[in-house]
Amino acid sequence: MRQGGVFAAGAAFLIVAGGFVLVSAAGQRAQAKELAPLDTKGDASVRPWKRYDKWPKRDESKFNTLAKISSPPAPKEPRKLSGPIKGDPANGAKLVANRKRGGSCLACHVMGPAGGANLPGNVGPDLSEIGNAKLTDEFLFNYIYDPRVYNAETVMPPWGSHGLFNDQEINDMVAFLKTLKSPAVFKTALDNPEKRPAPVEKRANLDPMENPGMWTIDKAKELWTKTGSTGKSCASCHSNPAAQFKAWASSMPKWEPRLNKVLGVEEFITRHARATTGANYLMETDDNRVLSVYLHNLAEGQPIKVDVSSAAAKAAYKRGEALANRKLGQLNFACTDCHGKSANHWIRGQWLGALKGQYDHFPTWRTSQLVIWDIRQRFQWCQVNIRADELPPDAKEYGDLELYLAAQNGGLKENVPGIRH
Amino acid sequence: MAATPRLKLPSQAKKGDIIEIKTLLPHPMESGQRKGKDGKPIPRKIINKFVCTFNGKPVFTADLEPAVAANPYMEFFAKVEESGTFKFTWTDDDGTVTTAEQKITVT
Repeated sequence: MRQGGVFAAGAAFLIVAGGFVLVSAAGQRAQAKELAPLDTKGDASVRPWKRYDKWPKRDESKFNTLAKISSPPAPKEPRKLSGPIKGDPANGAKLVANRKRGGSCLACHVMGPAGGANLPGNVGPDLSEIGNAKLTDEFLFNYIYDPRVYNAETVMPPWGSHGLFNDQEINDMVAFLKTLKSPAVFKTALDNPEKRPAPVEKRANLDPMENPGMWTIDKAKELWTKTGSTGKSCASCHSNPAAQFKAWASSMPKWEPRLNKVLGVEEFITRHARATTGANYLMETDDNRVLSVYLHNLAEGQPIKVDVSSAAAKAAYKRGEALANRKLGQLNFACTDCHGKSANHWIRGQWLGALKGQYDHFPTWRTSQLVIWDIRQRFQWCQVNIRADELPPDAKEYGDLELYLAAQNGGLKENVPGIRH
Repeated sequence: MAATPRLKLPSQAKKGDIIEIKTLLPHPMESGQRKGKDGKPIPRKIINKFVCTFNGKPVFTADLEPAVAANPYMEFFAKVEESGTFKFTWTDDDGTVTTAEQKITVT
């Protein structure tokens, strides 16, 4: 494909010298020659999309997703209390450490002895001495109920107004906060998020002894020569993939005018194979994943560089940026809350990286799942984690978001398959 | 996933060298202790024996038990005195035998 592009550019140059009128005809021919066949009809993933069996099932339909705005609006005023708060500090201590209720307060705050001071996070301030701060009951209650009434920029979830805790539970947590009067005692140095060293990934992505993700490439090479219903295989046109795809994956995702959306490698595989070999490699199925690993792997070491030069691609990038900043789900997190404002902090025992660095190793082998995840599945899991409904992997919103994310990762070198927990 | 054995050992060594050999076979190592969705035990299916020979002579052998994790990884050392071939054999509960070989030149 790259060779075709170079040839077409040369031809256009020659005709410019010959006469202006011919240029556009040559341009059209060149374009027609470059366009890879795509099946533009139908969906590239299963419909109706069904959440993975092992993922938590919850009804989050009331809250924003990347495709719709539906979360209740932030309250304008703090709620008035009828009197001083009567709460049970012992129950509050349990609630702040309860990971089933949206992740627990300890995910972001050091809170004295709560949770045994075991691996608390540091996205929010250390609350170990908040009981000395003489804060009013109303302030503490409302800061948990919906902190947006005091701080429009907060990343803290609106625990009350999004229905994660009821009023009595918040009262109990307020009562617990008021008992916190001395600095947290950490049992080990690792428990202190300020001193916990940032994780370093030392495993060699491309070593099959270390990364089982590499084993998928054998399967991809089998699929490459497997004929589909048209009697053709990938190899019929791409007989030398190592040369033909030396940089391709690093230029994806790309704005695709024929579909009016951004296409990533995985959706491209589905639609291109349907239009050529007749195989139907739906997104987030094993065959699609291994082919995506293979195509990314062929671009090993190439700097990521997405094309946002056209007006349509620029618009998609802008939409992607807006989506990355949209508050989603019951926990009301935007992508950039964790991977921007709070990047390089701990959320409980998990390190939050910046957007740059979240893309170059995808698709990646997940040691905790023993499968390959592509970037769209990672997007879906992020959303399920923040209690938002995920979209089907070929949703146009994911395309815009992936374009924005890839642009943030520009210059980083492709290193696929990655290996992550 | 194709169960291609993975090997990592030097292709050349000096006489008397102690070389490091790493082997790995992709395999689920189903222990027989787990239950499926229907509540019935999932039958045991593990690699139960691993053998490494050099020019036909035994170098290393291991009996594997159900507690060994998926994708059994073996790392061991051998002293090489002559050029030859390392042969590796993995035996599955169902009788399947997977083999791999690698030559080494000793100078």
